[in-house]
Amino acid sequence: MIRVDQLRKQFGSVTAVNGVSFTAENGAITGMLGPNGAGKTTTLRMLYAVMRPDSGNIRVDDVDAIADPHAAQARLGVLPDGFGLYPRLTAREHIEYFGELHGLSGASLRQRTKELLDLLDMNAIADRRTSGFSHGERTKVGLARALVHSPQNVLLDEPTNGLDVMSTRAVRTIVRRLKDEGRCVLFSSHVMQEVSALCDAIVVIAHGQVVARGAPDDLRRHTGHDNLEDAFVALASAERGAYE
Amino acid sequence: MTVARSLRQIAIVIRKEIRDSLRDRRAMWSIVFSVSIGPIIIGFMMNRVADRQREAERVRVPVVGMQHAPALVDWLRQQSGVEIVEGPHSPEEAVRNQEEELTIIIPKDFAETFNQSKPAALQIVADSSRNDARPTVERVRRLLQQYGAEIGSLRLIARGVSPTAAQPLVLEDIEVSTAQQRAAQILTFIPMFIIMAGFVGGMQIATDSTAGERERGSLEPLLVNPAPRLVFVSGKWLAAALAAMASTALTTILCANLPRFLPLEEMGIRFRIGPEHITGIIGAALPMCLFSSALQSAVATLARSFKEAQSYMGVLVLIPMIPGVLGALYPMGNAPWMYATPMLGPYVLLTNVLGGQHPAMNAFLISAGISLVCAAILVRITATLFESERIVFGR
Repeated sequence: MIRVDQLRKQFGSVTAVNGVSFTAENGAITGMLGPNGAGKTTTLRMLYAVMRPDSGNIRVDDVDAIADPHAAQARLGVLPDGFGLYPRLTAREHIEYFGELHGLSGASLRQRTKELLDLLDMNAIADRRTSGFSHGERTKVGLARALVHSPQNVLLDEPTNGLDVMSTRAVRTIVRRLKDEGRCVLFSSHVMQEVSALCDAIVVIAHGQVVARGAPDDLRRHTGHDNLEDAFVALASAERGAYE
Repeated sequence: MTVARSLRQIAIVIRKEIRDSLRDRRAMWSIVFSVSIGPIIIGFMMNRVADRQREAERVRVPVVGMQHAPALVDWLRQQSGVEIVEGPHSPEEAVRNQEEELTIIIPKDFAETFNQSKPAALQIVADSSRNDARPTVERVRRLLQQYGAEIGSLRLIARGVSPTAAQPLVLEDIEVSTAQQRAAQILTFIPMFIIMAGFVGGMQIATDSTAGERERGSLEPLLVNPAPRLVFVSGKWLAAALAAMASTALTTILCANLPRFLPLEEMGIRFRIGPEHITGIIGAALPMCLFSSALQSAVATLARSFKEAQSYMGVLVLIPMIPGVLGALYPMGNAPWMYATPMLGPYVLLTNVLGGQHPAMNAFLISAGISLVCAAILVRITATLFESERIVFGR
């Protein structure tokens, strides 16, 4: 479970995140929805502790992520936005590298790597260097290494951005599966269909603030729009809290 | 137990960076190049010098007017390595056109003047602007002076005078440098090449694991792993340092094998890198590898791209050359401050060690201590840079 309270982050004179609060439950998929530049990536970066918030609180399970970022990171599986791979390492080596950094080793690491390769249908590319990988294949590598330590909480920053239909489906399957395993999945997207198809709860972010949150149906009801896309447009351009 | 965990994570990062760079063909070639260029240059230069010396020992002396001084010509022929040939028709032109290195002209009246015990003129036609001909000309000049001295002594004896009376001075050259030191002087570039190999050897990993990682966007996912930034930086730094140490060792081994391929013995040079030097070389060079890799990692972290980092490295690589070039131009002493200067200390130590001297233990300790302290500061700075959001996300 992830609990975010009054998170704030400023870059120079620009306030990227301005008092964001929400909770992402276990066994649920929480979608962070917002237009480009709304502050989704900055919020996630603070969650996975590569950025320090100016103020606010983050709890990952029972860990204070600001006081003890490494303990929080150990409970998180993260697929950052626009992540890069090592072109000279194979897919398997990517997974094992991150697994080792998380403290896995030996037979348990090999076993877990094999599971992920099967799960993501990556056996054909497992021992190829990633330099020639397609976008979909790269995303699979990123996902596999994010999940290698079986984290309770999974953060995915626009995971399906630019993916073809097959790869998008694969990602969705994984996300649902993580939910069924009782994990907490938080993923960001600016794509409406994505969120409505997958999420149990939605947090709509605009201008660095949470403008609405709730189940997809709640949002439709609150905004008075049957279509979630219309609801999103209404929310993204509205003032903070208007529909809470 | 967090220390043990951190150490294990550092080892994991080291292994990954080394494996990654071993697959980087361009990086491997640059290391092979940097490791072998020094020994190759030295081998080439030494061979040239040896050839010259051999040429000077085997001289071909064109003589014009041999019939005027048959005794002199016979004496010259008996000297080892001397070949007497008939001189060209126009000696000055032949020498000017570099067809001959020199020509001896024996004038018609030589025999007559000689027999009257008067100074008999001999002409040596040579081009003093030609450096390559100088050893030959010198040799011939010495031979002629020696002949003159012998004849002079004989004439004095014939007149009942001791030849020593005509020799008021005897010059003796007393060489104070040991043969090893003289060798080190000629091979003065070896310490520089060893240091250069260490510097260049670590460069690829230092840049690829910092600037390269930033450029690829693989830094952010790496930093999501639960470890302090100092762990990642230390792993990257030590991987680069290990590559630097390996390069240093390889260059040293190549240099140690130079005598197999070079005619050092016949040139009168005793040069040897043997087991007795190994501790000295390790003590001088390995701490330097830790320092240079730390410096490279820190500088490369500031670069947004691999290319940008490489242009910084191009400037950095001049640093280890400074002591080497200065050392070749101005003979350096062993002032204590030198040991306390990064890069210079290891250079002076290596020069001494290879010169057959035994620098004091303190000198090693000071040099290594300074290198390690500077390295620690630089690694700390790099870790701080890795904390900076401008560095991690500023692509």
